[in-house]
Amino acid sequence: MVNQSRRDFLKTAALAGTAVTGLSSKTKAAPKNILSEDRMGVLVDTTVCIGCRKCEWACKTAHNLETPSIEVYDDRSVFQTMRRPNSKSLTVVNEYKNSVEEKFPINVKVQCMHCDHPACVSACIVGAFSKEENGSVIWDTDKCIGCRYCMVACPFQVPAFEFESALKPDIKKCDFCFERTKEGKLPACTEICPVEAVTYGQREDLVKAAHQKIKNYPDRYINRVFGEYEVGGTSWIYLASKEFEKLDFPKLGKDPAPGVSEAIQHGIFAYFVPPVALYALLGGVMWINKNKKKSENEEI
Amino acid sequence: MKTRMLIFFICCAFIINAQTQKKVHPNLNGITCKTCHSCDIPTKENPCVIPCPREKMVSIDQSPEEGPLVLTIDKFKKQTDIYAPVIFSHRLHAEMSGMSGGCKMCHHYNPPGQVIGCSDCHELIRKRTDVSKPDLKGAYHRQCMECHRTWSGKVECESCHTINGKKQETDSKTLIAKSEKRIHPKIIAPTILKFNTPKATGKVVTFYHSQHVDLFGLECQSCHTNESCVKCHAKDKTALLKAKTTEQKHAVCSSCHNTKQNCSSCHFNSVQEGFNHAVKTGFDISKFHGKISCSTCHTEKGKFTGLNSECINCHGKWTQENFQHKVTGVILDETHQALECTDCHQEKNYSKPICSSCHEDKSFPKNVPGKLIKKNG
Repeated sequence: MVNQSRRDFLKTAALAGTAVTGLSSKTKAAPKNILSEDRMGVLVDTTVCIGCRKCEWACKTAHNLETPSIEVYDDRSVFQTMRRPNSKSLTVVNEYKNSVEEKFPINVKVQCMHCDHPACVSACIVGAFSKEENGSVIWDTDKCIGCRYCMVACPFQVPAFEFESALKPDIKKCDFCFERTKEGKLPACTEICPVEAVTYGQREDLVKAAHQKIKNYPDRYINRVFGEYEVGGTSWIYLASKEFEKLDFPKLGKDPAPGVSEAIQHGIFAYFVPPVALYALLGGVMWINKNKKKSENEEI
Repeated sequence: MKTRMLIFFICCAFIINAQTQKKVHPNLNGITCKTCHSCDIPTKENPCVIPCPREKMVSIDQSPEEGPLVLTIDKFKKQTDIYAPVIFSHRLHAEMSGMSGGCKMCHHYNPPGQVIGCSDCHELIRKRTDVSKPDLKGAYHRQCMECHRTWSGKVECESCHTINGKKQETDSKTLIAKSEKRIHPKIIAPTILKFNTPKATGKVVTFYHSQHVDLFGLECQSCHTNESCVKCHAKDKTALLKAKTTEQKHAVCSSCHNTKQNCSSCHFNSVQEGFNHAVKTGFDISKFHGKISCSTCHTEKGKFTGLNSECINCHGKWTQENFQHKVTGVILDETHQALECTDCHQEKNYSKPICSSCHEDKSFPKNVPGKLIKKNG
């Protein structure tokens, strides 16, 4: 019963609909999307990362994606172009010049940030996306209808779409190794990293550790933990030696991203405005037409 | 009675504690218990050690010969099957670290006593609760990569690791034997360096390297910061020889000396004698003050001028209690012991005594107010 039929979806949608209309003022999110205090996270220390790209290999291997052998990843020429995660690589490492010490370029790993208030969860019209108790933001492939609203909503532009797959295209993004962590394993990238530039742990502890690092080595880091507050906080947080905006991190405020999209969506759909407006419009058209016919008849 | 017993027991506890502390940590160089321990009396059962990274770095120093020759790092055998164990030439690396800080370059936060290995603090299992310090694998790689990256700028794993199953040119046994033979020549510090500068007047700067180390107590890395292997072993030395600005040339000196003014304090027309306190300041320190560091008297950081050379300035008033006269080479007889210091030593630097105020016919050193002995050291 893994596959959900259209009928099942409509059933749950109808049920959810009644639930929402009944309790609209009390519950805004499905129970799955409660933010757990013990949720996990990853601290990425970009001053430690050496750009070996072993995480890229481990990620592909863990997700059964096509990959060349591990030695191929020693090739650093890929850093000449900036890359983004796509449907074939869920995480990529980019390289930036280090103006202070040329021999130590800055390497930045990019993947889904697993927001605490994810815009994708909010934007998904079929409820396929969810923020899980362990911090990961995952989606149900069987529910996904391929509308790609998540791609538009994401403030980090992470979700990718299998455009090349014509028959059964799927959304692809880092799933925080949901299946692996369920079995008690570490996310693949955090397990393989030789220098532990990506540290897996409880988000709360990681935030503390990050601030301790800044305090202990004020010359090494800028005084900011990216993801601590950005878009309401993310499960993956970053430390860096220079401004995050210079490392292609988006400039984001502290308000959760869904705040904007939800305000628009909820504003439009509040009090059944669209159906009421639609029927009012249709009624209006009918009334005009009727009047027209009447006057035509009268003329004849 | 009860309070007396209590005091006795507390005293005993402190004495025992002090003794065990000496046994566990033989040389506590300028650090207190509180640097590492959070409680007052740490025990073996409850050492209450403050977790790393502690605010103050504590470490120890050993000669490279005291450490292991070659180490085979096979702690991850059970965790990974991609790579074979790494053969690490510990002696060679210890010798190389000589100028960049010695043992503490890797063995940071090492408590005084014996050198402890990485795995004593860094956890073998990556999935753990304490995320404040890296796990063992991370710690190893961070230490290695910091220097190895400066060599080639590359991070290929195979420069240290051999991939399991891949055919190797040399097996691990010959690799170990080879590593055992590898040594780094001892780094010999120069005594004197003469710099010919392009300056028209004051062409020569004489730099007494040995004095900066022995007399001024500087450590190698206080001047040789970021000293990498490449500095000596670079294939392409042109980058090192590229023209430096005046500021860059003076950078090392200006951390202590004011290089913006008083050029003539270092720049002369000929090679100069080394620093001599007596010649330069008129105060001879070779007799009594030769073994103490400059900063003991010159407490204001970076300022070495303007000290009052009168004894009273540092020592206060000399009395029988705080001054043992025999250090001067003369043990006073009973009659003279009872006198005030100033009765004989009327000069402010307590130099030659005057006998004539009591004895008309006597004078020093012809007559001695006690017994003349050979001075220690």
